[in-house]
Amino acid sequence: MADLRINLAGIQSPNPFWLASAPPTNSGYQVQRAFEAGWGGAVWKTLGDPILNVSSRFAALSFNGQRVAGFNNIELISDRPLDVNLKEIYETKKKFPNHAIIASLMVEPKQEKWHEIVKRVEDVGVDGLELNFGCPHGMAERGMGAASGQVPALVEKQTYWVKEVAKTPVIVKLTPNITDITATAEAACNGGADAISLINTINSLMGVDLDTWNTIPHVAGKGAHGGYCGPAVKPIALNMVAECARHPNVNVPISGIGGISNWKDAVEFMLMGATGVQVCTAAMHHGFRIVEDMIEGLSNYLDSKGIVSVSDIVGKSVPKYSDWGDLDLNYNIVARINTDVCINCNKCHIACEDTSHQCIDMLTDANGKSYLKVREEDCVGCNLCSIVCPVDGAIDMIEVPRELPPMTWNERQAALNGSLTCNVDVTN
Amino acid sequence: MSDYQQYLEERDKIDYFIQKGYLISNVKEHLNGATVDFVHPNRKVTETLLIGNANARKYFSSLLIQQKQRT
Repeated sequence: MADLRINLAGIQSPNPFWLASAPPTNSGYQVQRAFEAGWGGAVWKTLGDPILNVSSRFAALSFNGQRVAGFNNIELISDRPLDVNLKEIYETKKKFPNHAIIASLMVEPKQEKWHEIVKRVEDVGVDGLELNFGCPHGMAERGMGAASGQVPALVEKQTYWVKEVAKTPVIVKLTPNITDITATAEAACNGGADAISLINTINSLMGVDLDTWNTIPHVAGKGAHGGYCGPAVKPIALNMVAECARHPNVNVPISGIGGISNWKDAVEFMLMGATGVQVCTAAMHHGFRIVEDMIEGLSNYLDSKGIVSVSDIVGKSVPKYSDWGDLDLNYNIVARINTDVCINCNKCHIACEDTSHQCIDMLTDANGKSYLKVREEDCVGCNLCSIVCPVDGAIDMIEVPRELPPMTWNERQAALNGSLTCNVDVTN
Repeated sequence: MSDYQQYLEERDKIDYFIQKGYLISNVKEHLNGATVDFVHPNRKVTETLLIGNANARKYFSSLLIQQKQRT
């Protein structure tokens, strides 16, 4: 059986599955139940300046029968006294010494405030700290969370203040509510961060009630933007993790967060550079015991590939992630319809005819039977037909034998820019 | 005319000059595609093609890269 242990910037964990700082890690009771279920670590729900919460806090997006495809919350950080949380962290760590407990922290951007809270949480034996520069709602209106995390200089400075006194590894949790997350990732590194975690939640309004015209959720008829997470945000999170992983100035381990719901999602994040992953929405939807499937699935996957340690997959797909300008313009694929499998629903034809490149013909064979055929010379390989096809295996995307050597946009532009004075020897 | 037919036509025009020994001497890109100048090394003759098809623009670009690698 593969070794699932990870070491993220010095924080050891029996497996890469951590609970993210959120409602599931609000108390010692919950974190201990999570560890008993098999979670390798937990980032304790953010400790920090006093807050008050509202009632009606969560909303979810159901999409075509999948419940909780997306999740929105307007809950703030822990509303429990710091001393209560610290006592429960101490007790939990004592009971589970081999599991990782990371304290998520959020205070006003003042040096003395960061120093005070870091010292207090480290005194009870946490394995690491996570600086919450990401929560987009409520706290941001008070200058904390995402409000801090959107300003690289503030990220760097606050990280530096923490590092002045921290004895345990410092993870900086980044907000996705920014144009370029590598800017704040780099700032965290410049401030001395030992690791980064991403993404926090995305600014969102889940919906509007068509009868009452209230927002969803609403608090006595008023709403405010919340933080969006869950499966729907995974592609956004995965891209941001990958962008950080391949950035030359972001050279710290990454804890991946964002819509991770099963072991496959976790593997994708790790291949794209995450040393470990954090999970929240899936646990809120299905309970702590989903980690059993995650551990088993990951273990089986690694065994099937002959990989002895989960750490060996970290970052393996990062070199495959590049800029658009470095993609091969002369690589071609086309759609091919397997008529034996196709049910002639015509969805591919309609999609192609109406919204793509009009290259799927509806034909009739000699026996009068309808069939669909791709005019491969006109197919641009957009994938749309295979995406909308309801039958697995009915449409394959096939590589076309290469007619021209590989050529990227950047190579082309370099050749064109050089060609305008190209060395053509014109003689009489 | 399909994009593919347009590609074939424009590729044939490019090939015509290339097979006669012309070299791509200048490319001007604009909103309608690219204006490509061909010049024959042994004659003071310049020929010009307007290449609008996207695959044909890939095609002459690939030829240009090959041409630069030879010179």
